[in-house]
Amino acid sequence: MSILQNMTIKHKLMSIIMLACITGLVLTGVILIVWEINTFRKELIHSLSTQAEMIAENSKAALAFQDAEDAKQTLQALHVEPSIAFGCVYNKDNKLFATYYRDYAEIKVHPSELQESGFSFAGGFLTVFKPIILDGETIGTVCLRSDLSPMYAMIKNHISVIIAVLLFSSLVAFLVTSRLQKVISEPILSLAEVAKVVSEKKDYSTRALKQSNDEVGLLIDAFNEMLEQIQYRDLELVDAKEQLEVRVEQRTAELTTANEQLTTEVAERKKAEERQAELLKQLESANKELNDFAHIVSHDLKAPLRGIKTLANWISTDYADKLDEDGRDQIDLLLSRVDRMHNLIDGILQYSRVGRVKEEKIQVTLNELVPNIIDLIAPPESITITIKDELPVIECEKTRITQVFQNLLSNAVKYMDKPQGQVSIGCDEKEGYWRFSIADNGPGIEERHFDKIFQIFQTLSPRDEVESTGIGLTVVKKIVEMYGGKIWVESKVGEGSTFFFTLPKQKVGGKNAELQASIVSRR
Amino acid sequence: MRIKAYIFVVLALALFAAPILVQAQDDSAQSREYQIKAAFLYNFTKFVDWPEEKMPDSNEPIIIGVIGKDPFGDAFEPIKDKPVKGKSVIVKRFKGLEELEKSSERHPQIEAIRKCHLLFICRSEKQKLKETIDLVKDHSVLTVADSEGFLESGGIINFVMEEKKVCFEINVTAAKRAKLEIRSQLLKLAKRIVEEKPSGEEKS
Repeated sequence: MSILQNMTIKHKLMSIIMLACITGLVLTGVILIVWEINTFRKELIHSLSTQAEMIAENSKAALAFQDAEDAKQTLQALHVEPSIAFGCVYNKDNKLFATYYRDYAEIKVHPSELQESGFSFAGGFLTVFKPIILDGETIGTVCLRSDLSPMYAMIKNHISVIIAVLLFSSLVAFLVTSRLQKVISEPILSLAEVAKVVSEKKDYSTRALKQSNDEVGLLIDAFNEMLEQIQYRDLELVDAKEQLEVRVEQRTAELTTANEQLTTEVAERKKAEERQAELLKQLESANKELNDFAHIVSHDLKAPLRGIKTLANWISTDYADKLDEDGRDQIDLLLSRVDRMHNLIDGILQYSRVGRVKEEKIQVTLNELVPNIIDLIAPPESITITIKDELPVIECEKTRITQVFQNLLSNAVKYMDKPQGQVSIGCDEKEGYWRFSIADNGPGIEERHFDKIFQIFQTLSPRDEVESTGIGLTVVKKIVEMYGGKIWVESKVGEGSTFFFTLPKQKVGGKNAELQASIVSRR
Repeated sequence: MRIKAYIFVVLALALFAAPILVQAQDDSAQSREYQIKAAFLYNFTKFVDWPEEKMPDSNEPIIIGVIGKDPFGDAFEPIKDKPVKGKSVIVKRFKGLEELEKSSERHPQIEAIRKCHLLFICRSEKQKLKETIDLVKDHSVLTVADSEGFLESGGIINFVMEEKKVCFEINVTAAKRAKLEIRSQLLKLAKRIVEEKPSGEEKS
């Protein structure tokens, strides 16, 4: 079957039909031959038996009257039948009574073969025995032997005729098959051809030609329909592809534009950054210049101021009796204004010193430092300063942290308007930083002034009421921010204010280098 | 002399003995011949058809009669119990006509002879051949003999010896006259067939 599978449909069809035809023919031929042989044998047996019967009938008298010559003559009649090779008559005692040979050497029937009646095929002969019965008494036996070679020759003849017929029939069947197989194979072959064309050239516009209304026709219809659908899909696909290409082009263009924009933007940003850096640089140098300027100004202004003060003191001492009351008052006013001027300059100097002057960082135990500061301030007896919480040990410049606490505490004491002043110092440990608080029950600050108070030279009350330079909180803010902390105030007018400031643990807790870097960047 | 005497004795013996030996040999050959003839007689009944009135359906036997001096001896022994045409065969022996005429039972004997199907007329009856044949002429009896000129005398079958073989000859006209039908197979075997012309002349 596997051989069949690899054949073309045409050959397959032909092979199958031819195989069936030849099988049928051969079978018929074989049956015919077998039948023929059988018939031949039967006929031969029948005819030979009939002959034997006749001989037996005609030999009765000869046997009865022992006339061998007559029996022989009877047997001679056998010569009309050429296939009979030998015939003989046996008497009652199974002795040869009369014989007949035809052109052959003497053929003896072996005594063991002798029998009363029946037949046997042996040695290329058919031997038939018939008893000779006279009046119910067996008086002898006829034996006839027929040569089978004529029969075999005849059968051979028949076989060759049958084979010839078979070959001829096969040839005719082959011719008919090779013509008629086209009815089935041609539509399939054309379909296959179309399918090949379609698959090779991708040409979906080809159509198979329908030739019949059978299953193959259905197949072709289905195939054509399929092709149509494929063609349709193909067209759609091409369309979609084109659309896609257009879209891709659009997108590419958009992207290019966006990219250009981005490049421009980046360039702009870079420019801006450069400008920023430049500005920063300018700012830094300006800042530095300002710092230097402040220092120089305050330092240099101090000298003429000191001269003015000395002169004023001299006038006040030396011309006291020459001046009238008004003169002395004005001289005193002058002296106080000079002092204020001096304080202002000192404040500026202080401010400018923050960040400019560096100090070694040491471990500062606030629990020791803060009480010292309180002592230094020496608050009046009406004001109590309490340390609410345990204060930590921090690493920082001792002078600065002293300045922070001193300024905040002295502010609280300075502006206290209550008879029983309460100032408390607190500290919370938060995540990553310390939060310190200094709370008082003083006059409080209006909310709109919360930012203003940290600006330089800003005081909320007139200078004549409370002697203040307006520099202290500015310095505090600068120090706290230098350490990376924040400072703010919470207050209610009439109830008091609380100043909070934070110090990051890392910055103040240990790493010197970072601290340094942050200081440098802030300059 | 003594030798002469001896030879004489031998010769004398030979002279005496030879005829005796020949006689013995002759006897044996004769008995064999009659055995065959007996078998032939028996077989004749198979190849000859008698008219119906002679062969009733009844179980009456086929009678083979032997008239005259019986030469068969016990030659009929082998065929004694063999039936022919469904009937048993019996052999009856009759005295010659000459003797019969003297006999007191002449009439019943003749009747018995006429009842025979086959009558073998012995050589002893050679003188009375014609009379014997005439006796059974109208009774469908198959007359058989082994005498020369038997057929010419109106007999039906006659045995002859040919090359020491027993053969026979048939007179078809006589058979017809006796209303007997002799089958062709038997006729074929006959050495000579005699047909009498109406005028009575012989023809072979």
